[in-house]
Amino acid sequence: MAATATLAASVRSRRPALTAFRKAVTRKPGRIIGLAIIVFFILLAICGPWFYGRLAVDPNSLYAAPSAKHWLGTDFAGSDVLQEVVTGGRYVLATAALSALFTSLFGVTIGLVAGYQRGLTDSALMRLTDFVLTIPGLPLLIILSTVWNFGSPWKMGLVLGVTGWGGVARAVRSQALSLRERGFLEAARGLGLSRRHILLKEMLPNVAPYAAMQLMLSMIAFIGAEVGLFFLGLVPFSSTNWGVMLNQAVFSGGAMETPSALIYLLAPLVCILVLTLGIVLFLDAIDELFNPRLRERV
Amino acid sequence: MTAFARRLAGKLAAGLVMVWVVVTFTFFLVHALPGKPGDVQYEQYIQSGMNAEQAAAKVKAIYGYTSHDSMLSQYGGYLGKLLHGDLGQSISYSGVPVSHLIWAALPWTVIPVLSGLLVSFLIGVTAGVVAAVRRSSRWGGLLTVSGSLFAGVPAFVLALLLLVVFHTEWNLLPDAGTSDIQYDPGWNLPYIGSVVQHAVLPVCAYALLSYGGWLLAMKSSVVSVLGDDFILASELRGIAPVTRARYIGRNAILPLFTVLALSFGVMFAGSFFIEDTFDYPGLGDLLLKSIGTRDYPVMAGAFLLITVSIIIANILADLCYTLIDPRVRR
Repeated sequence: MAATATLAASVRSRRPALTAFRKAVTRKPGRIIGLAIIVFFILLAICGPWFYGRLAVDPNSLYAAPSAKHWLGTDFAGSDVLQEVVTGGRYVLATAALSALFTSLFGVTIGLVAGYQRGLTDSALMRLTDFVLTIPGLPLLIILSTVWNFGSPWKMGLVLGVTGWGGVARAVRSQALSLRERGFLEAARGLGLSRRHILLKEMLPNVAPYAAMQLMLSMIAFIGAEVGLFFLGLVPFSSTNWGVMLNQAVFSGGAMETPSALIYLLAPLVCILVLTLGIVLFLDAIDELFNPRLRERV
Repeated sequence: MTAFARRLAGKLAAGLVMVWVVVTFTFFLVHALPGKPGDVQYEQYIQSGMNAEQAAAKVKAIYGYTSHDSMLSQYGGYLGKLLHGDLGQSISYSGVPVSHLIWAALPWTVIPVLSGLLVSFLIGVTAGVVAAVRRSSRWGGLLTVSGSLFAGVPAFVLALLLLVVFHTEWNLLPDAGTSDIQYDPGWNLPYIGSVVQHAVLPVCAYALLSYGGWLLAMKSSVVSVLGDDFILASELRGIAPVTRARYIGRNAILPLFTVLALSFGVMFAGSFFIEDTFDYPGLGDLLLKSIGTRDYPVMAGAFLLITVSIIIANILADLCYTLIDPRVRR
């Protein structure tokens, strides 16, 4: 017993960042709930479609009420609503993850380089960032949808990433600016290490957690934008997802007028609401790690 | 004041460059559209029995150029018409200038957005102060979470939930349009009453949409002011709490001008979803409908107007901030 305790203590002391993270998460029950919600949705997106494979469309029960066979009832075509929510969640989360990938690719690179190089590179890159931040993203996406069909997760992720990296770049730059003046970077420069080494090996690990927080914030917006574009019916439907469900429920399913169709409309709405709540609750913990000022005075 | 003038000039120049880039982008976008809408239109006019000259003149009135000119003169023609406030003519409402359509749609976006902004400002700022002062209590934490949640939830979720609760479930408020059709539009009481009734849900949706931004900004601003020395000093000198609250409020509310610009962007983006959900004939609805009918001049015009107004709102908010808070001017 004592041996495991000391072992655990030694492991803990070796990884202070992990300990601080665990402490911040477990301090408030809300944060654990947030983390649990996020994990639940990720599992749902990865494993859900395996268990909930192809359920045949049941044309005999349109808008069926929830039952043992169809837990959330059926939609206007007789498809199982729960199945649609689960398989649709995979698209939503995959696209959010891909757009986060592209955003971090552009945002972190530009922010790091701008913050480290300063001077002309910095001002040029920041002008570009200001521009991306000022151009309203959603109208641009709506207009782009007339020229290009970016319905697949990769394309959607790319489009969202290209239009949405501004906030991350600015946040990373401000971190890089302050990192730049720290002793270990001065030492790295003094040792004559290459710029690539300094950027990738010295600075990137230090801005990564902060960038991750910014990414989660923008992921909330990405989920809203991708589902929204499908809801507005601007992107051709290739597979089912929450936005397609909402579009069909509101504009062709008449869910507003028929009470039995209401659950078909509410299911994706509640999913988005709960997922957003999960990210928000969890971000509260990460926010505290980086903003000691927000820590409560006891 | 010279520093302010320099800042003003810099901001205006940056804004103009931004507007120019957006205009150029819009021009090339309409060019890149599949099937060259201008050419298709030209062919249609020829088919309907017009001679080449008339058809070219018609297309020129709609788009500002024909594809027979060189690219440069097309671009010049487009810019020239824009400078005169001419956005071209609509295709689906044949012959109606785009600017008329936009003028007709503008109030249905601007008035609900501004009312929503006002409501959310009052509620959000008050809640933000409470959340900051009571940040170690359960209620403070809940308020903050509510702020983050509403700042994150997409506009269509809010709009649809409002619709489900207040129309489908309780049937208290109408679900679509700006007024009931039996009333004559004009300054008569029944019509205005109907308009107000129809505006309640959209305004609520806008208010919920921007409530979170105000709350979070006010909270973090108040928290940072609470740590300032002059607050401690006023506390030590025994100044009445009411007076101290005024000190806090005055200093904390200044950074909120930056949120105002952000809110405008959020509101305009939200207007697409809110107007689509409530079938409200504003700017966002105009842009969406023009995409549905492939009415490219209207599409380009509405997009330009939305983008340019967000750029202007940004500049204005920044300038107001500098004007009000002397500390930023340095």
